[in-house]
Amino acid sequence: MKSIERFYLLRYIKSPKRMLMRFSFVFMVLGIVISVSILSAGLNLFEGYERALKTVLLDSFAHIKIESGNGRFLNQEQLDRIYDTLGKRPEISALIPYIGINLMAIDSENTRGCIFNAYHTPEGEDLHYGKFVVEGRPQVNDGEVVIGHYLAEEFGLKVGDEISLLYPQLRRVTPLGVSSDTRRFKVVGLYRSGYYEFDRSLIIGTLTDARNILYTNDPFAAVEIKLDSKHVDKAKELASSYRYALGSDLIAYPPISGDLLRIVAMQKWLIFIVFSFLVLIAGINVISAVSTMILDRKNQIAILRTLGATAATVRKVINYQILLVCLIAIIIGQAVGALLSLFVVKQGFYRLKGDVYFIDKLEHHISFFNLVTVFVVASILVIICVWIPSRQINRLKIIDLIRNP
Amino acid sequence: MILSAQNICKAYQDSHRTITVLDGANLQVQAGELVSITGQSGCGKSTLLHILGLLDDSDSGTIEIGGVQVNSRHPDAPFIRNSKIGFVFQFHYLVEDLTAMENVALPLLIAGKKISTSMDEAKAILGKLGLQERITHFPNQLSGGEQQRVAFARALANKPSIVLADEPTGNLDPANSLELWKLMRQLNQDLGQTFVVVTHDRELAKLADKSYELVQGKLNPL
Repeated sequence: MKSIERFYLLRYIKSPKRMLMRFSFVFMVLGIVISVSILSAGLNLFEGYERALKTVLLDSFAHIKIESGNGRFLNQEQLDRIYDTLGKRPEISALIPYIGINLMAIDSENTRGCIFNAYHTPEGEDLHYGKFVVEGRPQVNDGEVVIGHYLAEEFGLKVGDEISLLYPQLRRVTPLGVSSDTRRFKVVGLYRSGYYEFDRSLIIGTLTDARNILYTNDPFAAVEIKLDSKHVDKAKELASSYRYALGSDLIAYPPISGDLLRIVAMQKWLIFIVFSFLVLIAGINVISAVSTMILDRKNQIAILRTLGATAATVRKVINYQILLVCLIAIIIGQAVGALLSLFVVKQGFYRLKGDVYFIDKLEHHISFFNLVTVFVVASILVIICVWIPSRQINRLKIIDLIRNP
Repeated sequence: MILSAQNICKAYQDSHRTITVLDGANLQVQAGELVSITGQSGCGKSTLLHILGLLDDSDSGTIEIGGVQVNSRHPDAPFIRNSKIGFVFQFHYLVEDLTAMENVALPLLIAGKKISTSMDEAKAILGKLGLQERITHFPNQLSGGEQQRVAFARALANKPSIVLADEPTGNLDPANSLELWKLMRQLNQDLGQTFVVVTHDRELAKLADKSYELVQGKLNPL
């Protein structure tokens, strides 16, 4: 940077109001701050949503599920094989055999399709769903259940109340079809994972109750595998290798579709592109402000050119000042964006629709990568918007400036 | 020879006619001279000065500064304007946002000198011109005479070979005009500074070493 350029920049920093504070400038700065803050807030919220959804999905769902290839319950030999083959794999943090049943929760006003899951947890080990039980206790005895908190809300239940579950009596087939049976369970805990579908429909009970509902003595329907956090992203590849190792009568697959997370990530960047257009629109203000400034400062441009400054130097003198203001506006915009996204998360009047967005709580996350991306993209747009109008300085003739001050 | 202008012609095209303002003007300026050019309003005095200062182009003719033929389109024209020529205009043309010292430092900064060095030198020049009390004042806090002295200080900052002054007293009252002429004469005598001064005041013009009158596009000795 040449002395004259540095001088003007320092002079501007020292006394911005005197040097360069015009009405058009205020609008230019406001435009940048608002557009960058919307861009940043949008990105922060989408980043938060993507991360929250991933966390909730990975925490709530099994990372890999192993079932019998014929659709029946696993027999003891298959179960032993699963334990022998996978029991000591370092990437596996838990093997959880379970039974899952589709049934209905009913009362006099409501009916809700639910999933009744019963897990096998060896004695002395923590219940893997224990961290999601927000009220009551996670341990269940026969005749007791933990239910999703939305389900409890919908049915007006609290810990200690009873819930009626309606299920098909598979051994009583009549000419009119399968008849149903109803049984009442005591609610001992409320479950809240953040994953809306589970919070609305999951019921956790004992294996004995599950087997009684299904009239079966078979041990388990399937085995859930929880992977170590480092290996979660490799679930698809690991499932393939397990399927190969376990034999053809067992199937292993990751129940969470990676496509969902990829779609969310893609949405985030689409939002980023759309919101970047706001910065571009703000850039029009920059073009206007620079053009106005060149007209305002024709006198000064004439003086500098007369004193021997080249057109390029004069351009830099003006551009550096405007760019400094724009870059500060971008940083302020990012800070405002962070506050805006925090406000959106903390406010109480709008919640996500869980049945649409899978989770019902807004989250925001400020990542360094996103900060840098917003800064770089906004800066490039601003630089272009400053550069385009400042080219007219090259076309200004000194003599015209002197004759028509 | 510091400055030589040979056969300078310049005409402006109006919508219907061609107005010739310079028609073979010749001028030679030796080092240490104080030269004045006078003439009626609109006769082309300022145009000639702008051409001499490489701010405008002539239609024909040649300009030599320090023996080198140049014009306003010459790649070195900005460098020559900065290092060999000092300008003073009727309307001072000081930068309103900068103090007197900063205004004077501009040519030094454009030349690439450090900011601190430029400010020190600007302060020294202003001191020599009796403006040491005004260095931190902005142009709107200075009188017309003071503003013009700051403009002279700025013109002298890079120790140019020649100072071109376009109606420097045009905006001053008679007393201040005379003061300014005395200042130019003093700088001319003490520093050997060469001046070419355009003025419409024939009496002041006669105070120069050489005086010319621009008549019908030609320079005639006064």
